[in-house]
Amino acid sequence: MELQLGLALPPPPLIPIETFDLNSYGNYETREALGSNALSWPLLKLGPADNDINNIHHHNSSSSSSSSSSGGGAGCKKRSFDEAPFFDEKRNVPKTLHLLLWTNQPNDEDDDPSNVLHENSSSAIFKNDGEGLVGWPPVKTWRKKVHHQIPNGGAENNRLPKVENGIGGRASKSTYVKVKMEGVPIARKIDLSVHHSFEGLTNTLMRMFGISDGNPKIFKLTYQDREGDWLLAEDVPWRTFIRSLKCLKLIRSRG
Amino acid sequence: MQKEMAYSFPDEVLKHVFSFIQSDKDRNAVSLVCKSWYEIERWCRRKVFIGNCYAVSPRMVIRRFPEVRSIELKGKPHFADFNLVPDGWGGYVLQWIAEMAGAYPWLGEIRLKRMVVTDESLELIAKSFKNFKVLVLFSCEGFSTDGLAAIAASCKNLRELDLRESEVDDLSGHWLAQFPETCTSLVSLNISCLGSDEVSFSALERLVDRCPNLRSLQLNRAVTLDKIANILRRAPQLVDFGTGNYAAELQPDVFSNLAGAFSSCKELKSLSGFWDVVPAYLPALYSICPRLTSLNLSYATIQSPDLIKLVSHCPRLQRLLFLIQVLDYVEDSGLEELASSCKDLQELRVFPSDPFGVEPNVSLTEQGLVAVSLGCPKLQSVLYFCRRMSNAALVTIAQNCPNLTRFRLCIIEPKTPDYLTLDPLDAGFGAIVEHCKDLRRLSLSGLLTDHVFEYIGTYGKKLEMLSVAFAGDSDLGLHHVLSGCESLRKLEIRDCPFGDKALLANAAKLETMRSLWMSSCAVSFGACKLLGQKMPKLNVEVIDETEPPDSRPESYPVDKLYIYKSVAGPRFDMPPFVWSMDEAVKILH
Repeated sequence: MELQLGLALPPPPLIPIETFDLNSYGNYETREALGSNALSWPLLKLGPADNDINNIHHHNSSSSSSSSSSGGGAGCKKRSFDEAPFFDEKRNVPKTLHLLLWTNQPNDEDDDPSNVLHENSSSAIFKNDGEGLVGWPPVKTWRKKVHHQIPNGGAENNRLPKVENGIGGRASKSTYVKVKMEGVPIARKIDLSVHHSFEGLTNTLMRMFGISDGNPKIFKLTYQDREGDWLLAEDVPWRTFIRSLKCLKLIRSRG
Repeated sequence: MQKEMAYSFPDEVLKHVFSFIQSDKDRNAVSLVCKSWYEIERWCRRKVFIGNCYAVSPRMVIRRFPEVRSIELKGKPHFADFNLVPDGWGGYVLQWIAEMAGAYPWLGEIRLKRMVVTDESLELIAKSFKNFKVLVLFSCEGFSTDGLAAIAASCKNLRELDLRESEVDDLSGHWLAQFPETCTSLVSLNISCLGSDEVSFSALERLVDRCPNLRSLQLNRAVTLDKIANILRRAPQLVDFGTGNYAAELQPDVFSNLAGAFSSCKELKSLSGFWDVVPAYLPALYSICPRLTSLNLSYATIQSPDLIKLVSHCPRLQRLLFLIQVLDYVEDSGLEELASSCKDLQELRVFPSDPFGVEPNVSLTEQGLVAVSLGCPKLQSVLYFCRRMSNAALVTIAQNCPNLTRFRLCIIEPKTPDYLTLDPLDAGFGAIVEHCKDLRRLSLSGLLTDHVFEYIGTYGKKLEMLSVAFAGDSDLGLHHVLSGCESLRKLEIRDCPFGDKALLANAAKLETMRSLWMSSCAVSFGACKLLGQKMPKLNVEVIDETEPPDSRPESYPVDKLYIYKSVAGPRFDMPPFVWSMDEAVKILH
């Protein structure tokens, strides 16, 4: 009885899902003595991953990690295939259409598209003209608009930001800059909009990094401008400083 | 031997019985029993859900279900939310409206998601359906306030107008005034997506005044705090309310007016909005906090102890959307507070305040989520952005929350390993799929090898939707998913080293799924062509904005690939940068 069932699909348990043909692949079923779904991976064991699988990646630049994934591809694949436990032998696998027999042969290197991916990957990732990944992190566009309208002086809970016509059109840039202190591994962030002079800024920085008032001359305030040059803050007027600085660094003054 | 059917019910009886069956799955099952049940069922089906508008043509739907009153359609792939689908890709609703205008004069409800809706479509809706009641445009685009004016003016019995997250062209704020004075039927109005000038406030006030059944109202950002009290006093029956701008200079009379207005809303259970929130005004909400079950603070860009305090006043909270802004070295996410106050929490979404900015000194860590998993055992749905994660944390979360149905974790920097051990996060996500046996939706991130896919294929038997980015080592990963996940309907992949082998070896699996998206992977043009030729029930579409895919060697990987099952054949509205791999369609166009 053939029914025109364009819209109603058989629910999976009633009709066997067509999977690919395991016949060509049967050599590998007996490799692991598994009759159930138990994996040989100790799932809850923490610590270093299984060392027989060459999957220790280092958190490096994306181009190097993609090269390690495709370069080591053939070798990795062979081993992980051997180690991986396979399907339940009792599983029902009907004849099906497969367009490619799944074999254990390493990729035919001649036309391995993953090689092409390697060439492309760096360019693919920075397609957005070096502005970063397209669509990553996965935050919806309209949320981005919300985030970019963080009002000035938002850090101060007691301060009420001025409301301009009640319409949330204060699309101001963030006024926080990074501050590093020499010898301290962790950088901090400081809100520049609440400071109006070097004195005020320096006082805040001293407090932030726990430097006592006793020896204010020990540290010098330097900054990196938009061109990437490092300059002494005290050498320029406040307005110039504010307009051109990208980040700050406190260095110990010598002599 | 003659078999007599001693028990054949008249059709009317069966029809009456079927009228109690509402779910699509059940209706589909009913239609499979026998030919006569199929016939009866199709004549009395009133609601149709089409998860991919290109899977079937309007004509086919109309032919099979002649008496539909409610339709839901989804258009673009999910990754369109993140700008991965170029403009002009498709998802146009006009043809659907045009065909249904003739066939379904009694159509009362249209719900659309990620579709392109023009003013022409809206005007056609307004003109064609005399009993039109519900219009939901979720994440849609292509229309202006002119189209909304047409809907408002013509739909005499409109119950629901919900424009959430849509992009609307602002032409005039007076469309709201088009609702006739006789329109008193509104139950739900969501205009939160509209910009500054797209709403006439006095028209809104009058509308709210004359709709006593209004239960759900979401204002847009242009509505100022001082106006909230006015609205609430006109609609104390509200159950779900979205404020507009929640910022103003602190004035005692404004505050007390606001607090009084909120306290008069005895049924209010759900709040959202809070743009530019000024913490001093949050205590105005305290009177209704004990009843609140849902709180969306994801537009509230000020992180403060007051915000956290607000949450601690809401013991019945089931759903929380939160924006975390870590200002200083001390991580004060507030999630620990949440974990101790809100034991009924079922859904948590945590967004980063500065996802594209310079990396903050203190990362959003896993601690908040672990705390919530410990304190909130009813947790079912999680969306969590962070900058670091560990396998240990994921295992803890998995063990604490075995009832998770949706788990989406986004570690902001791609390929970030376990920060404690520097291992991939395979074991952690493996624990999630192993312990959470009802998991239906999963999004992965961080450093992941093929192993994580093996866990997913082995344990993710109920998994329906999987999102993958920057993960895996080889085709084996994709193969595990396609061969193991029996319930898989939607698979979306970006920037993974998956090529032809797994796809071709599991070609038939694709016919059991709604759709597959792969972008920046390693699937060759040749493989796409092969799939298109051999699998007539699939539409295989290649997207490339730079040049035609056949201008390069066949082994060259395609930029983006979208495969979906369809009984309608290749679509006719493809833009120049989309190529169909169907043999019947010319590839070059």
